[in-house]
Amino acid sequence: MEFSPGAFIAPAVDWLNTNFHPFFAMLTRLIEAILGGIEASLLVLPPFAVIAIVTLAALLVLGWRMAVLAFCCLGFCLLMGLWIASMQTVALVLVAVAIAVAIAFPLGILAARRPRFEAALRPILDIMQTVPPWVYLIPAVMIFSLGRVPAIIATIVYGIPPMLRLTTLAFRGVPTDLKELGQAIGAKPRTILFKIELPAAKPTLLVGLNQCILLSLAMVVLAGLVGAGGLGAEVTRGLTRMEMGLGLRAGLAVVAVAVLLDRLSRAALELDRRKV
Amino acid sequence: MDLSAFVPAFDEQVDNILFWLTDHAAFFFDGARVVLEGFYNGVLWLLNLPPFYVVAILAGLVAWRSVNLSFGIGTAIALACCAVMGLWPETMSTLALVIAASVIALAMSLPLGVLAGLMPRLERFLAPALDLIQTMPPYIYLLPSIALLGYGPATALVATVIVAMPPAIRLTSLGIRMTPNEFIELGEALGTNRVQAFFKIRLPFAVPSIMAGVNQSLMMAFGMVVIAGIVGSGGLGETIYGAIRTLNIARSIDASIAIVVLTMILDRMTQSMASSRQKMGE
Repeated sequence: MEFSPGAFIAPAVDWLNTNFHPFFAMLTRLIEAILGGIEASLLVLPPFAVIAIVTLAALLVLGWRMAVLAFCCLGFCLLMGLWIASMQTVALVLVAVAIAVAIAFPLGILAARRPRFEAALRPILDIMQTVPPWVYLIPAVMIFSLGRVPAIIATIVYGIPPMLRLTTLAFRGVPTDLKELGQAIGAKPRTILFKIELPAAKPTLLVGLNQCILLSLAMVVLAGLVGAGGLGAEVTRGLTRMEMGLGLRAGLAVVAVAVLLDRLSRAALELDRRKV
Repeated sequence: MDLSAFVPAFDEQVDNILFWLTDHAAFFFDGARVVLEGFYNGVLWLLNLPPFYVVAILAGLVAWRSVNLSFGIGTAIALACCAVMGLWPETMSTLALVIAASVIALAMSLPLGVLAGLMPRLERFLAPALDLIQTMPPYIYLLPSIALLGYGPATALVATVIVAMPPAIRLTSLGIRMTPNEFIELGEALGTNRVQAFFKIRLPFAVPSIMAGVNQSLMMAFGMVVIAGIVGSGGLGETIYGAIRTLNIARSIDASIAIVVLTMILDRMTQSMASSRQKMGE
């Protein structure tokens, strides 16, 4: 006895591809345009200028330790001869995180307000967080074929659950007396949301952002397997062609980018804590 | 400073070091490879020994006892579906990889976690290393292992063990440290010696946390084993990798379904073990 559910789903995917092709093509072009723009703006300046700007910004906002870290990490990517690939990876992560947050944030607030909606969402999120990251790439590749677009779609979907959960948690954790105070002084719902709830929820939101960034990076690197470009592609090339020098350089550059993104977002969190 | 000369020099140096290692330490890496593959093959042999329906029914019974009846029936049916899709051997080799890697990872990380829980110094020393391991994307752990062990399941095992260790170490040491003080003092007042105090007081309190660590490790191991298809680990990961490269949509959907089924079953089972222990503790 043999039965393959895939054999039934494959024609559906084909049907989607033939009938909704204009829609997918438009989405592809849109994402390519955004990505291309961000990538170009990261690459338009010479590497030294980018490193100097990031280091200075870190020095002014986050203190000299973060500045040294940023300088070392970015300088390392340049030294390894992988500047362009590193910037491509950073651009992918930035775009994916921005879109994931834009989707997860309102849903998270909604889930915090409506317990029913949250109860409906919870099993879906549970499943999404249990499934191995590899599996996310498959439907994306079926519809958007190979390249950067399926990679970014998979990354967005992968980054949504942690952000959504922590947004719900953050808004649920806002003290009720603060909200009541807002209502008592006659503030509009919008004012309560932005002036009271958002600042009170900020620390947890930043934890969610940090998680979202790290998971997105992991996915973007893995997406090198489906032709996403960037450092993931270099790691894949190193692995499949047994070019260990290249693979090791790319791997270390991934570590540098990961440490940089992680520590910068954590430093932003600490900064926030110090103010409060 | 000429940056462009650095890259070829670096690549050459890496190659030289690898050549030196394969010349001088081959016996060590070959030995490690043989041991790891032997262990994996042993687990796989055990899993393949009974026919698929026996495994499915056994898994269903375990799921029934640990979660509930409907989950048990679901487990048995879902596993039978993997066989019906013609992916039984792949499913079992993925399961064998996960089991082998988790056993090795837990054998190392549980004692380490206990030690770290008892000695705050070791904990402080381990914390940055664990942070770093968890910050890096899992994919890159395949690089050093493929360089030293070559193409095959041994490489997948090593990378998976690295990824699976940190959560188990963390949650074990957390559990050991979280023993309520009054119980430790009670033990002291009763005149227990240190070994008794550890096994009768600290360990039982730590069990729920340790089980949560086991669950997390297992899930990390799953993610890695599937990715490791690219280095020839065998199993569902390799099936998907091959199917994607040949754009065989039907096959890759089947393999993804099998992966999701397997992940869900193991996740629910270990989770419920963690929570049932917790209830007993209360």
